[in-house]
Amino acid sequence: MARKRIAETTKGIGRPKVGGQFELIDQNGQRFTDEDMKGKYALVYFGFTHCPDICPEELDKMAGMIDIVQKTNGNVVRPIFIICDPARDTPAVMKTYLKEFHPALIGLTGTWEQVKSVCKAYRVYFSTPPDVQPGQDYLVDHNPDGDFVEAIGRNFTVERAARVINEHIGDWRGKLDKE
Amino acid sequence: MGWLSSSPAVDAAPAAPKASADGAFEAPDRNARAHCWEARDAYFHCLDRNAIIDSVKAASLAEERCGKEDVQFKTNCASSWVQYFKKRRVVEYQRDQTLKKLEAEGAQKMDGALPGGAPASPPAAR
Repeated sequence: MARKRIAETTKGIGRPKVGGQFELIDQNGQRFTDEDMKGKYALVYFGFTHCPDICPEELDKMAGMIDIVQKTNGNVVRPIFIICDPARDTPAVMKTYLKEFHPALIGLTGTWEQVKSVCKAYRVYFSTPPDVQPGQDYLVDHNPDGDFVEAIGRNFTVERAARVINEHIGDWRGKLDKE
Repeated sequence: MGWLSSSPAVDAAPAAPKASADGAFEAPDRNARAHCWEARDAYFHCLDRNAIIDSVKAASLAEERCGKEDVQFKTNCASSWVQYFKKRRVVEYQRDQTLKKLEAEGAQKMDGALPGGAPASPPAAR
């Protein structure tokens, strides 16, 4: 019941708006915007490749979640890693880094302005100095219309997170791109 | 007869960062991270054995007791990571101490789920 209420209250008054328009480039240098997230769920994680341990651990968990969800529901969730370190995380650096985690992982970077803008839209702390600890380490789950659905914290196990995601997908009454 | 090498101390230091296709430096890969974490853990176990939490504040004692492990730590990890891990050790210790104190005072542990797991107000009408 709580899950259904979340999905319904997402469009209600007073709910913080998380997400929105953005324009970035992926690990192949291709333009990627919020429009490209439509049609499937998005599991979004903010981090940077020079992260000491939290980001690699969370990315491994994400890979696990994606595999479990794929078995149950097919390719309906895009795992997306948005970097907050535009000075160091270029497309080529992201490409090499993400290959070690999961083939489906999309890495997004951009200019300082573009990254600042997407972090602001997602309420993620963004700081320019390269060695600063990541401000956030939660995963943000969006439904195919682009609305914020759920935050999945670090304390979630892979199994629990996958279950939460699968349950949201099960509740979804709209169209879902399974390709 | 072969030698079983298990300690990171006998491995060569990881190679210097390579440049990627577009010029920026590659991030440490899985292997490099594993080496770093092993070296960190070896250093921290030494600190544990010597009852040192803050290796920065207690620098001379840490150097005296765990200098060798610290060298391996610094060889296998970026200096920003070394600083980060040393600081975080202190922060985590303080947090654990606070939690212990609260539990002793009868506080109840809460599930650390983030907001979004339960709505604070009734659903809006559609």
